[in-house]
Amino acid sequence: MTGRRDALLVLLRISFRNLAASKVRTSIIGAIVLGGAFLVVLGLSLLDSIDKGMRTSIQGSLGGQLQVYDARSEDALELYGGLRGESLLEPIEDFAKVKQVLSAVPNVETVVPMGIDQAMVATGNVFDVALERLRADVRRVEGGDRSPEALRGYEARKAHVRRMVGLLRDELGQARSIADLEGRDAEDRRREWADLTRAADDAFWAGFDRDRYGNLEFLENRIAKLSMDGGFTFIRYVGTDVDAFFRAFQLAQVAEGEMIPRGRRGILVGKQYAEEWLKLRNARRLDQIKEARDRRGRRIADDEELQRWVRENRAGLKDILLQLDPIQAEEATARLRRALGPAAAAEALPALLARLFDADDATFDARYRIFYDQLAPLLRLYVINVGDTITIKAPAKSGYFNSVNVKVYGFIQFRQIEKSGIAGMMSVMDLQSFRDLYGYMTRERAAEIDAIKRSVGATDLAREDAEAALFGGGGALEGESRAARIDEGRLLADRRADRPAEDLSTRTYSQEEIDRGVALNAALILRDPSRLRETMRDVQAASDRAGLHLKVIDWQQASGLVGQFVTLLRVILYSAVVIFFAIALVIINNAMVMATLQRVKEIGTLRAIGAQRRFVLAMMLVEIASVGLAFGLAGAGLGGLGVWAVRAAGGIPATSDLLNFLFSGPALMPTLGGGSVAVSIVVVVVVSVLSGFYPALLAMRVTPVEAMATED
Amino acid sequence: MHARPAAVLSLAAAALALAAPPAAALGPDELKRVVATLDDRQRNSGDWKALCYMEAKEKGKTDVVYELLVYRRDEDDKQLFLFTKPKAEAGKGYLRIDKNLWSYEPSTGRWERRTERERIGGTDTRRDDLSEPRLSEDYTAEWKGDSKLGVFEVHELVLTVKPGVDVSYPVRRLWVDKATLNILKRQDVALSGRLMRTTYTPRWRKIYSESKKGEVWYPEEIRIYDEIEKGNSTLILIREIDLRPLEANLFTKAWLESKSR
Repeated sequence: MTGRRDALLVLLRISFRNLAASKVRTSIIGAIVLGGAFLVVLGLSLLDSIDKGMRTSIQGSLGGQLQVYDARSEDALELYGGLRGESLLEPIEDFAKVKQVLSAVPNVETVVPMGIDQAMVATGNVFDVALERLRADVRRVEGGDRSPEALRGYEARKAHVRRMVGLLRDELGQARSIADLEGRDAEDRRREWADLTRAADDAFWAGFDRDRYGNLEFLENRIAKLSMDGGFTFIRYVGTDVDAFFRAFQLAQVAEGEMIPRGRRGILVGKQYAEEWLKLRNARRLDQIKEARDRRGRRIADDEELQRWVRENRAGLKDILLQLDPIQAEEATARLRRALGPAAAAEALPALLARLFDADDATFDARYRIFYDQLAPLLRLYVINVGDTITIKAPAKSGYFNSVNVKVYGFIQFRQIEKSGIAGMMSVMDLQSFRDLYGYMTRERAAEIDAIKRSVGATDLAREDAEAALFGGGGALEGESRAARIDEGRLLADRRADRPAEDLSTRTYSQEEIDRGVALNAALILRDPSRLRETMRDVQAASDRAGLHLKVIDWQQASGLVGQFVTLLRVILYSAVVIFFAIALVIINNAMVMATLQRVKEIGTLRAIGAQRRFVLAMMLVEIASVGLAFGLAGAGLGGLGVWAVRAAGGIPATSDLLNFLFSGPALMPTLGGGSVAVSIVVVVVVSVLSGFYPALLAMRVTPVEAMATED
Repeated sequence: MHARPAAVLSLAAAALALAAPPAAALGPDELKRVVATLDDRQRNSGDWKALCYMEAKEKGKTDVVYELLVYRRDEDDKQLFLFTKPKAEAGKGYLRIDKNLWSYEPSTGRWERRTERERIGGTDTRRDDLSEPRLSEDYTAEWKGDSKLGVFEVHELVLTVKPGVDVSYPVRRLWVDKATLNILKRQDVALSGRLMRTTYTPRWRKIYSESKKGEVWYPEEIRIYDEIEKGNSTLILIREIDLRPLEANLFTKAWLESKSR
């Protein structure tokens, strides 16, 4: 035992002497080893931190630890959407049963029902929106509501629409000056102008109340179409048991407004979605410029994109002008004149707005504040606001289009990842509204459709057989009919009898009603997330025993492409490390072979005085392993220093949506893991020993005779 | 080598067939008259109410079926669709006034502005499939030749939309029965030249119209095949026609709302 220790000490002394004697060689090999260790430690630390961030983002926003969906589904579940849009999932027809079975699995704490889909929200053009509100006021007044509040609202709305007509006439008047009024469409243009002139005339508004509905139809059909904007937008939502959702997903929070009352219908609109798609374009561009300046250090003076946004804001005043009613326009003028100083004292509102938005780096911050402090309170900053009732429309699974009205109770965001659109685009809606939109084909409905089909005796005809069947000479091409007397009252009688008796928006649903019915997937929150694999097996077994046909997947698989991103990063890092160490292996090997050839005499002498081949082999390996270990430790230390430096510099900023989501915050703050250090040391020592093995074999074969025959 | 008499006769017959004069081209005036006739046969001049059945098939999905009423006041270019079946769809509708097409959803009380290319009820039907045709007004016609469609001799016409006119499809190919001037087949083509739909109208009916003081023709059966999504098709059956004058205020949002309430 003592002999072995002595031999080891001798080996180490010889190794260190040799390393010290060949400083250049040692430095080259050491630098390579150090670089490798640094790369592994820093890379693994960053990857582990991203992995942790992604886990937080996915598990805390939509994923939970596990997800279940019908195993017979055409697609795999992708919570954040796939390349082909939303996953086509077979519905879980009775969520209550799934909840009951899975809740009984020991490590399952909560089962949250979900249905993710996209739908259309009609935003209309600005005229359509204003006229729709005026129509609602007209209905109230025509319905007999003569309260001062109703009449005041009605008159204010009329004044607003009248101002909008005036603005539209001004705009089209300018276009008219360059339009071809003799061409084919001249008659249409003349008629449009006559309509606008009529709508802008005092007499039209003085007589508006004589035929409210008639005048509304005139404005809706002859004037609103001239405002070429607006339409509809798509919204991505998850229909869920909203209370359970907020209990399960800790990152979810109501950013503005209030929580949907327990058991009620309603929607929380994704805050990030609202910022990107629903916000007044001028305000959105101001936010983007501010973000670029404050967080990215960009400057209007030398950034073409920021200059373009400033130009677009200066030119695009229509949305703001159309929003303001006469009193608001007057107030906005007064406020802007005060805020923009003496040079603006005599300017009209369009010029004031252009001046406000015409900002450079010196004036931007002040103009930004003026906009939000003075002007924004007079404007609707978002197409959809808290408290609005919006209509959502989607193609239902039955093939028909379904629509629901839902109240917007607030905006939802996910803490830490507020700036990311991956989760932030998602709105959260109650499960009953989701089920109405989803439109599952019930047995009763299928029977009704079948009866309608049978009543007309329609026959199917395949495309390829159509011409032969229809024109082959089988039937008469012409015939005669007799006029009928069609009574729509009779045809619609069924519908009247079938109408719901209550207003669904005010109804409170019980937990049993929420659970009973269709869901598309469900998130499972575990008591002990570290027992994920084991619980996954238990959940699958419970589902199979109950015949639920469920597929159980973990959060990473459920997140689809997003979840694969870290795997991709890992593959890239590992590939880089493998390439690096393959090159290192060749370089170290060459250096060591050269060193061995230079030391033939020394090795021969050692062999002559009794050193065994094994001793020579061990000597060479200890030498290279010592370099690997020493410089590996130094490299790992440097890697640790790198991690500290990144943290000290405020982390790696998340410059995109995806990074914000993966970092689970605005910046990645890497942490040094003991595992990363250990892995890096093991890797560099193994690579060093491998690269020194061939030279060691060469050295082992040196005999004293060969050594003596060698010339210096 | 001597050819047999039978073979000589066959060759002669083939040569004669090849040498036969081509079908007489439709001259500009004749073409104009044909297209005007297509419009005129379906023109009603007064009010129109039709009870229709509409069935849409989509590959891999359950059939979508409707019963609906189609109202027309052609002189004012107004049109209204009111769905009556199935129950869940009853009360929904479309209202067209001038160039505005509105859709109405009674469960939400919302009106939405739609375009001419709206797929009525989500089917392959377009608004103008069920309106009075204005081929002469909207399109420029070209005669492409005469051919046979099944047992029928037909004119083949290509219609190209006139500048500035908003229609569902900018190019339409028609196969018109030479004997009766009924349209038997129609192909709708996109601006890119891509074939979008093929429509067959194999059965035509006439009905006496008091307002026109003559007969109005309408296709009793319309079969539309989607050429993009192969396997998708729509069948429309016009089951009853009522030509009595409609209520004066029928083509208004208020009227449709009142029927849906």
